[in-house]
Amino acid sequence: MSPGERKVLVVPCSGIGKTYGTVSREAAYEVTEDLRPGATGLVALSLLVLGDEDARAAVRAHPAVTIDGCKLACAARMVQESGGHVTQGIAVLDVYRRNRELKPQGIAELNEGGILLAHAVAEEIIAVVDGVLAGEEGSTHA
Amino acid sequence: MPELPGRKVGIVACSGEELAEGTVTRLAALKVLEQLRPGETVTICLPLFLAGGEGDRAFARFYPTIAVDGCEKRCAARATELYSGKPAASVVVSDLVREAGLERPEGARRLNESGRQAVVVTADRVAGLVDDLLGGQWSRRSGSFVGTAATTEPAGTPQLGCACASAIPVQTVDVDGRAVALAALPLIFEQLRAAGKAPGPEVTGELLATVRIYNDVPAGTDEAYAVALEREYAAYCGQELART
Repeated sequence: MSPGERKVLVVPCSGIGKTYGTVSREAAYEVTEDLRPGATGLVALSLLVLGDEDARAAVRAHPAVTIDGCKLACAARMVQESGGHVTQGIAVLDVYRRNRELKPQGIAELNEGGILLAHAVAEEIIAVVDGVLAGEEGSTHA
Repeated sequence: MPELPGRKVGIVACSGEELAEGTVTRLAALKVLEQLRPGETVTICLPLFLAGGEGDRAFARFYPTIAVDGCEKRCAARATELYSGKPAASVVVSDLVREAGLERPEGARRLNESGRQAVVVTADRVAGLVDDLLGGQWSRRSGSFVGTAATTEPAGTPQLGCACASAIPVQTVDVDGRAVALAALPLIFEQLRAAGKAPGPEVTGELLATVRIYNDVPAGTDEAYAVALEREYAAYCGQELART
């Protein structure tokens, strides 16, 4: 991913201890593989934890949407600590509170509620992505 | 002896999202935690070493830890060593895949057949390491094995027990003008008081000896630590008395 590319980065927490971490991961894949594959890129949080220079450079060069599964907000904090800008931090729990019928279960494998919740998270992300890229396009043509 | 978290092995997976091998680490770790060794293992999210508190950073000193990495960048092993403690053992999925003669896994989101086989191979290796590590004598003070070491690969060559909500309790105390975070101190205080031991020189000696099991007390600082611990324990007992 070159710094000049117009992309929004998606950084999920992928928390391993709770189902919401798996929802964050699934939502990130849905956005980057299915919904907006050309306009988004995925950054592995473990690389930011380790301070990998390429990953740090990527989050400094592109707007980022973070997805967190718990209140500790590891993904948002790591992007900020890496010098990046969190355009929108999405908390899976907040999305769940707005969609109580989508109760996620399972960590290794999500149930149907979890898959649908991930889809709801993904929909919120693409609204942000589209808005950011439309804004960038507008400023380019101004 | 305070009732501290039981003898378990920590597992830290890189969970790298952009590689199929990262997904293998995650699913293999979960297989060990949930199916293969559920009562003997605990995990923590890697970023908590930075985003969490002292209790999270104490993880790899309290639990002999196995780092499970997807690739040669070894984010889990290196970050664990950098922020918590040296992993007792470490595995890299790409190495295990080669050893097992598997095709390279594909499909970070949905693993292909080779990826699913890699999960089984990795989980089996990790479970074996768990058994080895439980057979060794782990020092929580130094974060390493003492006496007969477990038969594992040394680090550097290549009901789900989640620790993120149950970090090791830590209390920061003033030792001779320096703030020192002491792992397990709240539990140690609680146990001593429950045993009916009032603050005083005799108990302070016992307190220091117990604190030393779980923390590094530098040489030549015993007196300063004793003063601090006696003061803090007296304060704790006073607070508890006022509460009742």
